[in-house]
Amino acid sequence: MIDVALRGDERRRIAEALGREPTRVELYAFDAQWSEHCSYKSSRAHLRRLPTSGERVVLGPGEDAGILYLGEHDGERYAVVVAHESHNHPSQVVPFEGAATGVGGIVRDVLCMGAHVFGIADALRFGDVATPGTHRRHVAQAVVDGISAYGNAIGVPNLAGDAFFHEGFNENCLVNVIALGLVKEKEIVHSFAPPGSEGWPLVLVGKATDASGFGGASFSSLVLDAENEAANKGAVQVPDPFLENVLMRATYRVFALLHERGITAACKDLGAGGVMGCSAEICASGGYGARVDLDRINVAQANLPPEILAVGETQERMIFALPPEVVASVLRIYNEEFSLPEIAYNARAVVIGNVTKEKRYVLTHHGQAVMDVDIETLTKPREGALVPSEMGGARKVETASGAAELDAENPLSRLAALLSSLDGCSREPLYRRYDTVVRGCTVVPRGYADAGVVAPIPGSPLGVAVAVAGNPRYGVANPQLAAEYAVVEAVRKVVAVGARPIGLTDCLNFGNPTSAEHYAEFVAAVDGLAHTARDLGLPFVSGNVSFYNENASGKAIPASAIVACIGVLNDVARIVTPALKQAGSTLRFTRDIEEVLRAIQEGTVLACHVVTGDGVYAAAVEMACAAVRAGSELGVRLSDRLLRTDRGGFLLESSASCAEQVGTVLGEPIVVVGEASRSVREMYDAWAGRLDEIYA
Amino acid sequence: MRSVAVLVFPGTNSEEETVRLLRVYGADARLVHWSCAQTLGEYDAYVLSGGFAYEDRIRAGAIAARDAMMDPVIDGARQGKLVMGICNGAQILLEAGLVPGSGDSRRPTAAFTRNVPPHFICKQVYVKLTVEPRRSIITAALAAGAVLPAWAAHGEGRLAAGAEQMAQIANENHLAFVYARADGRVDDAATPNGSALHCAGLVNRDGNVLALMPHPERVFPARSALFESFVKGVEAS
Repeated sequence: MIDVALRGDERRRIAEALGREPTRVELYAFDAQWSEHCSYKSSRAHLRRLPTSGERVVLGPGEDAGILYLGEHDGERYAVVVAHESHNHPSQVVPFEGAATGVGGIVRDVLCMGAHVFGIADALRFGDVATPGTHRRHVAQAVVDGISAYGNAIGVPNLAGDAFFHEGFNENCLVNVIALGLVKEKEIVHSFAPPGSEGWPLVLVGKATDASGFGGASFSSLVLDAENEAANKGAVQVPDPFLENVLMRATYRVFALLHERGITAACKDLGAGGVMGCSAEICASGGYGARVDLDRINVAQANLPPEILAVGETQERMIFALPPEVVASVLRIYNEEFSLPEIAYNARAVVIGNVTKEKRYVLTHHGQAVMDVDIETLTKPREGALVPSEMGGARKVETASGAAELDAENPLSRLAALLSSLDGCSREPLYRRYDTVVRGCTVVPRGYADAGVVAPIPGSPLGVAVAVAGNPRYGVANPQLAAEYAVVEAVRKVVAVGARPIGLTDCLNFGNPTSAEHYAEFVAAVDGLAHTARDLGLPFVSGNVSFYNENASGKAIPASAIVACIGVLNDVARIVTPALKQAGSTLRFTRDIEEVLRAIQEGTVLACHVVTGDGVYAAAVEMACAAVRAGSELGVRLSDRLLRTDRGGFLLESSASCAEQVGTVLGEPIVVVGEASRSVREMYDAWAGRLDEIYA
Repeated sequence: MRSVAVLVFPGTNSEEETVRLLRVYGADARLVHWSCAQTLGEYDAYVLSGGFAYEDRIRAGAIAARDAMMDPVIDGARQGKLVMGICNGAQILLEAGLVPGSGDSRRPTAAFTRNVPPHFICKQVYVKLTVEPRRSIITAALAAGAVLPAWAAHGEGRLAAGAEQMAQIANENHLAFVYARADGRVDDAATPNGSALHCAGLVNRDGNVLALMPHPERVFPARSALFESFVKGVEAS
């Protein structure tokens, strides 16, 4: 039997609420719904401090994904659907499957809002990968393979991401995934049973339920423990991207049918808490109850116990609440036109129950009620339960950046060392395993600029840019500052391609929230996110909190507030990349976002690159390396006058000269600082090839 | 106007951009889903797009090549209809024996198999036309030695064949496209997957079936001289 993560006082509260001892199924159901993973009980009060509104916000946090207004094309108003989640615990235990199911889940979160999924992004944090044969090195390889296998097969391009290697993640990797979709504003599908839906059938769609992924929600709400290895592995779900590929296409067809007929339905991905969690949330959020017959669930094996049928987290499943008159057509699309039962064993769409007027959540199994509870008690947000009595201080300060301080005597050799280090090197060997261009809408593929850019509406010049940030070295030094930098850096990356930032998502990855020290880090990070986003006038529209990222002896990961920024471009033909373009042009440094956007709009910027904590010299050499990759033979002469660039900013290449110039673009591929010079090709080879030892 | 079917197998994932680009050049191109396979015989030409048909079980393209959906394609190829396969579509054409052979026995004589190094790779590449353009009606409108941009995005794209078949591919003008640098130089560094003969694409004996591993339809903005030439070929055929 799997451990439940509920604490003793919560068990008492269940019994009090029910007026009796819970049944076995009820115990597991409450365990999932009241888990940290589902309920955000330790974080909700703080998350309220994040700004979530703005003129571009079509839908803020609360459903499976947030929605931002994109723009108009052919008289239609389009919006971008975005969701951001972690799949850290599963990826640490079974990295290929854990990461793959992370992609599958986030894609369905966007899909179920009525959107066509047009991109994913990932933020990965791995341990010290230097030693072959270690589990942490295996994690770093298999996570990438899992994301690649799933994303490539479903045909969704990987647009952006980052990866860091730090010993703080030796026993707890982070796998944060983001998905983006396109929807016409008038065709958004919500996840709540709409008014007047009393009696509507609940339709379960997708993979046959099996025993995989049982206990996933509460597993993610506990510290990983080697003694529970077998149960932990069983809690990880099994990915089937082939089924998801077909499920997505069939669901697009179903949405088209619903829009044709002018039907408002509800749709929601099955995540933590399985059939029970999903159906209960659809109905409760519409002000209804639900009645589900567990015997009607399509299963992969006979005699599954009712608690597994109810809360097991088998992947590739969704639930619709549909008006009765359309149910037969929807079943026909999934089961016949897209032949789900032939795609995966017993996969199908099936009616499993009904929306009810009475606000109870009732599960029957073999004709008997195995769960019968007040639906609001089951799904009502819980909070404040776990705040430690006393806040601890931040942990010891680590050097804030991977950047070695530049040696005045020999700056270029230090720079070469940085660019060939795991911190500073190109991520290309990692992301070239990802299909970055499927769908044919990718304008700037991953790795070719600070943000990925896609033109999601064929025939329209409108573009969407996306980038992620969150440097763990800052997290160790100062969680609040790290969160502030994560926002600023994600925003800058989007600005650097010429896109106007319109919204943010976040995933807050921390240790055990019952530890005063780790909870204080979380609270400080929220402070940092909240005031920085407010200063920049940007809303958070989706997010996720992942606690318990620590090893059995209580050592937590570096505080990791990971932020994604979404930006829009009115014309993708105007994008700018970091590759140097023209000998004789100049490089200048600025921190002014509006200045950068204006200069790009005016067409005076040849290239632009974000300056991170690695410094302005590293940024300039990366621009030269990008030019080498593009086949240009350009170099750069850099000023040896010291610049205060430690808070980062932008490096712009422009043909007009300016007073505050950082460097000059050279017509030969060398980097020159003072008297010293070095071949760009040599630096490029070291920069580009470093990760080959792990990903070749 | 002649019609082009873009086949959608379970697991296909590049159908939308493929049909879109064919239409850019004026083709009457339509998606034909596996549930409508019985209509395939009515089309004048076929395009097999990228993806992972039937999950690439056994080998890439192996199941799809033996699917009933391929019957009208093989019959059509025999009648001289044009057939183009991109990436997974190319793998399927080789598995069906249509390229470099004739499809008669549905037995492959060559395959696009596991890359060296053995991973999926997504990389911008160039392909160079190495046969006379008029060797194939599909490439007839290209310039001799044309170098075209495309994206390699596959885990199984390395040409493999027995010694005899490899000699036949090289000697009987089946090697339609090789990987090249932007300036047209052909070398190992420009070949992303260890493919024999630097092969990126093969044509059948009669020149009406072309299998190309990299994706011209993923270049942004969407333009492809090869797709344009294919559409002209369809109208002329």
